[in-house]
Amino acid sequence: MSGKPLLIIVPLCLAVFMTGCGSSGIEFREREETAELIPPAQDYMEELLAEHFGSPTASVAWEKLPINYHAATATVDEAGESGSVTLANIGRTLPINEGQQILWFVDGSAHSGQVAGFDEDLNALTVSPPAGADQNWAPPAPGARLTIGPGETLQQGRLLYAEHCQHCHGVTGDGNGPTAEYLEPRPRDYRLGKFKFTSTSTVRKAQRDDLARIIEEGIPGTYMPSFKLLTEEESAAIVEYVRWLAMRGETELRRIEILTLDFRAADAETQEELDEMIQEFAEAKEDDFPNDFADETEQIADSWRVAQEESSVVLPKTPRTPSSPESIAKGREIYLSATAKCVTCHGESGKGDGPQTMQVAKDASGQNYPVPGLHDDWGRLIEPRNLTTGIYRGGRRPLDLYRRIHSGIKGTPMTGFGTSLSDEQIWDLVNYVMSIPFEDRAPGEGPFVPSESAPEATVAKSE
Amino acid sequence: MFWPLAALYLCWIAPERGWWFPSEAMSPLGQRIDDLFYMILIVTTVVFIGTQIALGYVLWTGARRTDPGNEETTWFSHGSHNLEVMWTIVPAGILLYIALYQIDVWREFRMRPYFPQEQMTASLTRMGVDTDVPGDRALAEVTARQFEWRIRYPGFDEDGNLLPLMTDPQPTDLYTVNDLHLPAGVPVMINLLSGDVQHSFFLPELRVKQDAVPGLVIPVWFQAEKSQTYDLLCAELCGWGHYKMKAQFVAEPEQEWLQWLRELHELQNEDGVEETDE
Amino acid sequence: MSTISPTVDTHAGHGDDHGHHHDPGFVRKYLFSTDHKVIGIQFLITTLLMLMVGGALALGVRWQLAFPWESMPFFGPLFASQGGQISPEFYTMLFTMHATVMIFLVIIPILAGAFGNFLIPLMIGADDMAFPTLNMLSYWFMWPAILFFGLSFLFGGGPAAGWTSYPVLAALAEAAPGSGGAQTCWLIAVTFIGVSSMMGSVNYMTTIINMRAPGMTLFRMPLTIWSMFITAILQAFALPVLTAAGFMLVFDRLPWSVHSTFFVPSGLVVNNAEPTVGGGQPLLWQHLFWFYSHPAVYIMLLPAMGMVSDMLACMSRKPIFGYKPMVYSMAAIAGLGFIVWGHHMFTSGMNPALGMTFMISTIMIALPSAVKVFNWIGTIWGGRPQFNAVFLNCVAFVSLFIVGGLSGIFMAAVPVDIYIHDTYFIVAHFHYVLFGATLFGVFGAIQFWFPKMFGRTMSDTIGKWHFVLTFIGFNGTFFPMHLLGVAGMPRRYADPYLHPYLEHLLPMNQLMTISAILMGFAQFLLLFNFLYSMRFGEKCSRNPWNANGLEWVAPSPPPHGNFESVPVVYRGPYEYSHPDHSDDYWLQTEPPGAQPGAKPQAAPA
Repeated sequence: MSGKPLLIIVPLCLAVFMTGCGSSGIEFREREETAELIPPAQDYMEELLAEHFGSPTASVAWEKLPINYHAATATVDEAGESGSVTLANIGRTLPINEGQQILWFVDGSAHSGQVAGFDEDLNALTVSPPAGADQNWAPPAPGARLTIGPGETLQQGRLLYAEHCQHCHGVTGDGNGPTAEYLEPRPRDYRLGKFKFTSTSTVRKAQRDDLARIIEEGIPGTYMPSFKLLTEEESAAIVEYVRWLAMRGETELRRIEILTLDFRAADAETQEELDEMIQEFAEAKEDDFPNDFADETEQIADSWRVAQEESSVVLPKTPRTPSSPESIAKGREIYLSATAKCVTCHGESGKGDGPQTMQVAKDASGQNYPVPGLHDDWGRLIEPRNLTTGIYRGGRRPLDLYRRIHSGIKGTPMTGFGTSLSDEQIWDLVNYVMSIPFEDRAPGEGPFVPSESAPEATVAKSE
Repeated sequence: MFWPLAALYLCWIAPERGWWFPSEAMSPLGQRIDDLFYMILIVTTVVFIGTQIALGYVLWTGARRTDPGNEETTWFSHGSHNLEVMWTIVPAGILLYIALYQIDVWREFRMRPYFPQEQMTASLTRMGVDTDVPGDRALAEVTARQFEWRIRYPGFDEDGNLLPLMTDPQPTDLYTVNDLHLPAGVPVMINLLSGDVQHSFFLPELRVKQDAVPGLVIPVWFQAEKSQTYDLLCAELCGWGHYKMKAQFVAEPEQEWLQWLRELHELQNEDGVEETDE
Repeated sequence: MSTISPTVDTHAGHGDDHGHHHDPGFVRKYLFSTDHKVIGIQFLITTLLMLMVGGALALGVRWQLAFPWESMPFFGPLFASQGGQISPEFYTMLFTMHATVMIFLVIIPILAGAFGNFLIPLMIGADDMAFPTLNMLSYWFMWPAILFFGLSFLFGGGPAAGWTSYPVLAALAEAAPGSGGAQTCWLIAVTFIGVSSMMGSVNYMTTIINMRAPGMTLFRMPLTIWSMFITAILQAFALPVLTAAGFMLVFDRLPWSVHSTFFVPSGLVVNNAEPTVGGGQPLLWQHLFWFYSHPAVYIMLLPAMGMVSDMLACMSRKPIFGYKPMVYSMAAIAGLGFIVWGHHMFTSGMNPALGMTFMISTIMIALPSAVKVFNWIGTIWGGRPQFNAVFLNCVAFVSLFIVGGLSGIFMAAVPVDIYIHDTYFIVAHFHYVLFGATLFGVFGAIQFWFPKMFGRTMSDTIGKWHFVLTFIGFNGTFFPMHLLGVAGMPRRYADPYLHPYLEHLLPMNQLMTISAILMGFAQFLLLFNFLYSMRFGEKCSRNPWNANGLEWVAPSPPPHGNFESVPVVYRGPYEYSHPDHSDDYWLQTEPPGAQPGAKPQAAPA
């Protein structure tokens, strides 16, 4: 938004619309369970989240989480003349631009400067004193850890998120924006920290690249469109913001799960019990919560950190078996076998109508779901993929299908078969699955013989 | 009655301020469309100025006549047959001319027998496609859906020759989303489909627009002069995300396109093993 | 009253029959009145209220275009919004309902319903419409439509397939948030409006054919009546098609109905639902819809043309220039109007050969329009224009109609239309015609016939202020749209700035929004002027404008039954400044040879 016309317009609008535009109400939504807690626990949750995450418009860069909040971070390698330093260990999400703020610590006290220039090739950064700096200001010394453009990635991520994502995924990332209720399947609720289509193994979280790829390619067959034309930096900023929302959601969820055990208002039958509960809560808050919370944070942060490691990525050891009638036949066997049990959900003909879709499933608390069928971790009814349509939500490369079979689809009943099937078997299965949309032609008949009437049909239809 | 002047002034300065065509027409047909546009613009501007001046004139003289003390009488007239005939026949001639003048461009753009079939076939032959196979000469199938463009390209046979695009999806086909690549400098044809509701394939720089209608396969041809990236967007209301259907059309020389397609082929058949080996 | 003979003695006193009516009580008099004047005023006030509603919706649209995703005043909090943003489906609803309200609840009823009802019997010298009860029903059928349109807001998101409601978007409930119950309500409402218009049109035709006063030959009818007549014919022929199409679409939509698939082909997967099964053709709807809606464009314009002709002649104190060419050109517009619907579909994928024929017929429709413009200019030419609010609005009508007409040529030319179709150029064009021309004509007409409606005049000063502000706001809002269109900005985009080549258009859109806000607030002047003058305006005589028409012979406001005695018509309605007459007007009812300046026979003081 260019600023200049806005300056003229804003006073006018305020004059015109007396009610003003003040109450914009950009706030995170708390989980529903929070409302069931005793009042002090609710306050505690609110304070806790506000302290570590802030609000959408004033977010907190909580260093415990593995998030690239800043435009870049780097260590000063060598210091040169007049504020010029050479950087090492550069971690960059956004480009380094003139005028960005730089923060660093010397003996525990914070110092700041401004980017006066940056040479990409030499990694040479020129640091200038901030406005109003005193005489003692000095550029960072070698070894200093620089934070360049503090919080900028998260801020930009938020703006882009608000523009492109928010009306479906919601301010909180709960998949409950205004448009969400009309969509099937519903937009992802990030707050479980789970993303379906990842390159990582079964128990691991999603990598940044996985999220970026979904943003770039979209999810075919759903309302998640492809945002192909976002730049890499824009996409990276959104990814960081989404990860931040996911971690925020997880932090909230973990805490609530603990609090719900002991501090649900409905569990207190009498006033005394309630008072007792409040008393207990006050004690626990002082004694146990800080440590518990630190542990939880550690676990959450670790899980995301580990996912980012190279070892988390699933890669086949053996190359893909070329698609052939034999391989496809073998794949079909595996598809029907008791090891893979594909048929139980995807059905004999791959239409996603296996017997499991008729079974009554149980939710996390052991209750039966009201509707028979498969449910995901978000408690929604889901259908196994209809393999005859040739639409693959997680991507259509053989590698993507391999990963779906190897490590499953997170948060859904589609489990990973990486341990029970060999690479060769998975490839056969991949070949079979990829042949299902073409099954009306015999496998191996191949693509090279055009069906005789088809091209004419095109002409006829178009006229 | 200053407003016609303001309007003219605005039109005058508009091109400088960028409030005009997004760029020069990047296709030969687009240039002809622009020429037609400018022709109509000139005719209508003349008429606009003429009629507004006439209106201003009659108002001005009328205002003077109502000045106090002015003894001039009203011109009592029920009209003039000659004038009526004149201002019926002259505009009729101009309008008819404008109408007939447009027909060529339309015919070439939309009517299949007038498509530049030969050039399209020649281009396919250059790229090694077996053009004896029956079928149209489309290079890609663009399927619009809420809210993105899914594009299907023909793949390669075992010998690495480009196959013609088949009506039905083939196992060899290659797919992209929101990213249309086609050869530049030659007429290219796509088949336009819709997977759900109505959309419209709009390349503003090339002046191409064609609705994608559910249930129809509509051939669209165009020719990008320069090898560069163009905007591709939807121009027919298709739901809440109508504005989100942002895509690009990359025109590149034939061989580069072929190369890009090969890379896409590699990417599409990736099994992730080479990466670990290297 | 079917005779057109000027010998009238046998009929004298017919109007008096109605004078004996007993006082019909409040409900019969003001609510379920069968008096055409009350119905006309009911239509007028209802449509003016709807004008405010439609304008508010338009401001919502403009807000989003100028300040994308910023908290919208008034509307934002009313509907689903999160984080202070409106949602895109809400934006889609805004422009859909703006167009719907403006077209179906403002322009069509204000012209045919309000002015048609009020003026037709008065101007042809009849005591009422041919079918007064049908007339009352035609007004009261508008209310279910308003109700259903209102109801449609309550269903998920509101109708959001555009006012054109193209299937498949409008046919499948899954296709868009508003395509569920909201769309059904919308279709039902449109059907009610259709029925309402149909009743009106039958009534107008019958009245005009059968109930003219003695001496009121066809070619002595004011152009207003001609335009209403032609409009009524247009409606009668075009509307059934839309109503039928609407029913077909409802059949396609309702889950418990016949499961027809008129407009839905096979194999579409929308919102992850089961693929559709059917053999329908979405283009069929477009053909049916535009077969009505293109003539409807003229339904929305012709009556204004007629009224402006009358007002211009009166205010210029000069006969209309080329009366018969005016009539013929209106007829030509109406006739050609039936064979040009395809120009809305040039890029739609219909047989391209049709494009050529539709182009030629469309371009040729500019011809009668041009003839009319020249005649209007000719009417002012050499006259003594009275520069009051009525005249200014009429001149604005002519001036803006020229723009709307000329920009139509760009769209009529198929190759050029390929580029500008569904861009803001189109939006500019139809706003110039429907707002620039029609509404300015209506503003003038309100000012002009207000004395006849209420016996008091509206303030000319406020009227001029309203005119000036609206005119500036209008051009500031809509003229830049031409440029947006040429720059390739598509219609119906909630956020055009997502596309880099449109980013630089934001300042222009902001300017347009300011103009639109200005224009919106100028309408309060009109409303104030209208309501204030109803009660406190200056009292006026029968003929405050010194006009010639029959309506000015009747008292202001006319009683039930309109005329004290049956008026007799001796000449056409445009004998202003006749050299053989001492006054600069010559009432249609004044017998020839009467003393110059003598009181007209049918209107004793």
